[in-house]
Amino acid sequence: MQGQEHDQPCGFIQSILRANIAIVTIARPEKRNALTPAMLDELLSEVRRLGTVAGAMVLSGEGESFCAGFDLSLCKDDGTVMRALLSGLSHCIRAMREAACPVVVSAHGAAIAGGCAILGGADVVLTTDQALIGYPVLKLGISPAVSAPTLALATGYGAARARLLHTQLISGIDAVRIGLASESLPTRDACEARAIEVANALAAKPRHAVEATKRWMNQIDGSNDQSLMDQALAVSLGLVGKAEERELLAQVWAAAGKGPGVGPGPSSRQAWPETTAHRYPEP
Amino acid sequence: MTPLASLDIAGRIATLTFQREEARNALSLELLRHLHAQVDVLATRLDVTVCVMTGAGKAFCAGMDLKAVLDDADAAHTLLHTLAELTLKIRALPMVTLAKVNGAAIGGGCGLACVCDIAITHAQSKMGYPEVDLGVCPAVVAPWLVRKIGAGRARRVLLSGGLMTGQQALDIGLVDHCVATAPELDAAAMTIAQRLSQGGPQALRATKALLNQIDGSMDGATVRRGADLSAQIVATHETRAMLRAKLGN
Repeated sequence: MQGQEHDQPCGFIQSILRANIAIVTIARPEKRNALTPAMLDELLSEVRRLGTVAGAMVLSGEGESFCAGFDLSLCKDDGTVMRALLSGLSHCIRAMREAACPVVVSAHGAAIAGGCAILGGADVVLTTDQALIGYPVLKLGISPAVSAPTLALATGYGAARARLLHTQLISGIDAVRIGLASESLPTRDACEARAIEVANALAAKPRHAVEATKRWMNQIDGSNDQSLMDQALAVSLGLVGKAEERELLAQVWAAAGKGPGVGPGPSSRQAWPETTAHRYPEP
Repeated sequence: MTPLASLDIAGRIATLTFQREEARNALSLELLRHLHAQVDVLATRLDVTVCVMTGAGKAFCAGMDLKAVLDDADAAHTLLHTLAELTLKIRALPMVTLAKVNGAAIGGGCGLACVCDIAITHAQSKMGYPEVDLGVCPAVVAPWLVRKIGAGRARRVLLSGGLMTGQQALDIGLVDHCVATAPELDAAAMTIAQRLSQGGPQALRATKALLNQIDGSMDGATVRRGADLSAQIVATHETRAMLRAKLGN
């Protein structure tokens, strides 16, 4: 996952440097921007590359959802894919924190599982009121531990514990309430416009002071604790390929009726609440 | 010389007041030293269970008085370290501290409100950390803000700069109480102080000490490193030029 396996651009990560604002877009709308190892590899490269040259970075998703999580259809017959997804996610989150410039995430529609984990790497998170946000992955035998360190930084340990252990999705408004997002907007367009506005404001500030402040925040809040990040990743990796995971994932695919699907939910954003309740009943 | 920080003690409640009204209680080295002296007195007063911290006049504290130290890197270093030590000293006080934010609480001033155990303000007050807007890194106050509102919100507040209203400060947890208008503040703060003062002094001290231990408040090394970092940034040509332009020096 460090650039050796995916030399060709996957085409699902688009980036542009406009003035001194880097805009990185996850662009796989037909799959609700579900992540593949190649996409994470490319996202990592772009965040690292642009983080040193831009005054601020905006990360958003194309289509109706910010990101529906991992593309689980790739994991059915190959356990190494899930390992690559988890490792890639962990390194992307770290790269967002290590980027010299502030990173603003515009998370409209849905930010689920790995998509939600990306929020933890951001400096500023904007979302939409009706967005569906959370980690419904324990029901799949997958541990969201890889997300825990940065989620806890965003929300505090109490809320992070509840979100990671509870498979229920929350709204954008509730994400603001627990500190996972800083602002919730009524529509996707408003969210993206606000993200650009915030990025422009950040980029207009004295760069040396902003970068020094971000480095200092990383130092004092534990973001630089690579050992903890490694441990969290190891916990998630430790469950990959276990019988529980294989069995629960097989149930998901069987329930989908048409073989493996993409991500833990349907393709229609409007169908999320009902289907989520069906697939992820409350414990 | 008129003290720049006054300390009044009535029963179990003390009031520590910044007395530099003509400069909106901006933190000069002299004011910081007077505050140190008064906090040293407070540290010995185990009969006092609550200390209310506030500012004379309309402002709580307009922040660090950087104008006076722009051309003297050593003086800026001393100023920032004197603030850093004061924050540690206030946090270690044996009584509950209540910041009565009567008006603007900016930069280092907001940091002093933040280091108190409890804070109250009114909806129209202006609070926040505009340091990055001035090319300055708010490294001394950052650890206290992280403890007060959490790392995620602190990151956004410090990187975004600017100011917020008292109501917005309440919404993110920067203050714990917010009254609708300034005239209501004194009575509300006194009600809270009187209620706090009824707690058992030993139980209050023990609880506060435990909280300081749990949240890492006694980690002086980080706050001092923050003072070093802030001083380094203030000493850069870029920041000095910005401050001169903004402060009119």
